[in-house]
Amino acid sequence: MIEVNNLHKSFIDKKNTVKALDGMSFTAKDGEITGILGPNGAGKTTCLRTLYGLLTADEGSVMVDGINVLEDPLAVRKRLGIFPDKFGLYERLTAYEQVDYFASLHGMQGAKKKAAIEQIFKDLEMEELAHRKTVGFSQGQRMKVTLAQALVHQPKNFVLDEPTRGLDVMSTRVLRNHLAKFKEKGHCILFSSHVMQEVAALCDRVIIVANGKLAAQGTPQELCDLAGEKLLEDAFVKLIGSDEGVAA
Amino acid sequence: MIQFKALLIKELREAFRDKRALMVALSMGLLAPVMIMVISKVMITESVGNPPIYVQFTGAEYAPKLIEKFEENNILQFANVPEDDKYAWQERSIEVDIPEDFAEKMSEGKAIDVVLRADFGKKASGSPIRRIRSTVNSYSQSIGYKRLLVRGVDVKLLRPIILQEQDTALPTSNAVMVSMFLGMYLLMGAFVSGLSIAIDSSAGERERNVLEMLLCQPVSTLKIVLAKMTCASSISVLSIIIMLTLTTVSVGFIDLTKIGATFSLNAFSIAALLILLVPLCFFATALQLFFSFQAKSFKEAQSTVSMLIMLPAMVPMAIMMIDDKPAWVNWLPISGQSMLMEDVFKGLPVDWTVLASTTAMTIGMTVALVMMLAQKLKSEKVVMSLS
Repeated sequence: MIEVNNLHKSFIDKKNTVKALDGMSFTAKDGEITGILGPNGAGKTTCLRTLYGLLTADEGSVMVDGINVLEDPLAVRKRLGIFPDKFGLYERLTAYEQVDYFASLHGMQGAKKKAAIEQIFKDLEMEELAHRKTVGFSQGQRMKVTLAQALVHQPKNFVLDEPTRGLDVMSTRVLRNHLAKFKEKGHCILFSSHVMQEVAALCDRVIIVANGKLAAQGTPQELCDLAGEKLLEDAFVKLIGSDEGVAA
Repeated sequence: MIQFKALLIKELREAFRDKRALMVALSMGLLAPVMIMVISKVMITESVGNPPIYVQFTGAEYAPKLIEKFEENNILQFANVPEDDKYAWQERSIEVDIPEDFAEKMSEGKAIDVVLRADFGKKASGSPIRRIRSTVNSYSQSIGYKRLLVRGVDVKLLRPIILQEQDTALPTSNAVMVSMFLGMYLLMGAFVSGLSIAIDSSAGERERNVLEMLLCQPVSTLKIVLAKMTCASSISVLSIIIMLTLTTVSVGFIDLTKIGATFSLNAFSIAALLILLVPLCFFATALQLFFSFQAKSFKEAQSTVSMLIMLPAMVPMAIMMIDDKPAWVNWLPISGQSMLMEDVFKGLPVDWTVLASTTAMTIGMTVALVMMLAQKLKSEKVVMSLS
């Protein structure tokens, strides 16, 4: 369960001030896949970074499973599986070693760790990559390794920032099935994407973000109804374009 | 503990797989004995040997006896210089002018002015000038003594007091040079060996976008800093151990006593040096990490951190210059170690209180740097410069 309450965040430069978050609030519930939609620069990444505790909000709070990120960032991060906006790989390590590294950082060890790593490689269908050094991996292969290291400790909450960019159709499907499986198990999944069909197909609830605040939220169908459009894409454009009383 | 172990293993794995950076890190250690050998060899031939000196004499024909004397001491006429060395001696341009009336004045018992013209500031001219001077002096003295003897005067009357010089400093100036060089080399080793690894694991990771991922994990920044520091420092400790071992082996091949050096690297002095240098390795990497974590890019980190290499080169030099050292110089990192190393090389007993205080100071400053850096890695500024 991820609760975001009235987040405010400004970046103050010498010359200008950018208001990245302006009273953002939403809730991602357990057992649901929550999608965040928003145009570029809407404050999605800033919001997610505040969620990990990398940034401190000027105002408002973030609670993960009832823990305030400001008070105990390490405990919050233990409960999160993070796929960040920008990621890189340790190119001198093999895929297996990287995932092993992140599993250890989450305090796993011994046979349990080994089993978890082997499971995630199997689940994401990347066993043949396991013992290759990651230098020279394709974008999709890199994404998979990053996903594997985000999910190896089976976190209660997933925060995935555009996890499907650069993945081929097969891998996207694998990921979707994987997420659906964890949803069934009662995990909370928050993910941002720019692919409308994917959001429409996968998400139980959609949050639309614009100008640092929540523009609308609901199931994909509810949003279409709200905007009076058939396609989510049209609804999205309409909802962020006009702020005439549609904000929920 | 699991986390720290994982962090450290990952850092070491990366460091040891980056073959080129590792070679650079250890090359200082591998090159040390070669450098020491070459430098000592040059010094030994310079100070002990009596290589020929070629001097441009004018008026050599007026004083054949003096020229003979010069030739006895291997100080030869420029005309005889072998082709290979011609340029070098031309460059040094050492001239001796013998006046036309040399023989005349000699027979009259008047003072004769023989002029020695050379660039006295040049290091290469130092030894030839010294030899020319002593040859002329001894020749002139022997003539003077003979004159007195002929007049029935005891030569001893000329020297009522004889100053007996007893040098208590064990090494001669050349040996000081060798040991100072070795000391500086060890300090440089402590600073340079871990450098590329420290930059790579901080600014390099930031540039490769892996730092953000790491900072999102449930790990305290203190552990991250400690793991990175331990990794880079252990590489420099390794480099210093290689340096010391190889130098010990190679010094065995040179007869250092010829230049008056008495330092021998035995197990005890090696242990003392290691006790001195290991904390310094940690201090150096902490300093490097501190600056390179704050740099915006790999390049920026490289240029800032390279400035730090100046420290081990400049500090011992500065200490050499100060004759009357204030006490606090003993305690500071780098300067304290450098002075203690000098003692070890001179074969003097190690001053344990100084060693303890400088080590404590070094460790204290390292801890402070690590804490500050761990705090900085939590700040937004670091995160913001990630993207």
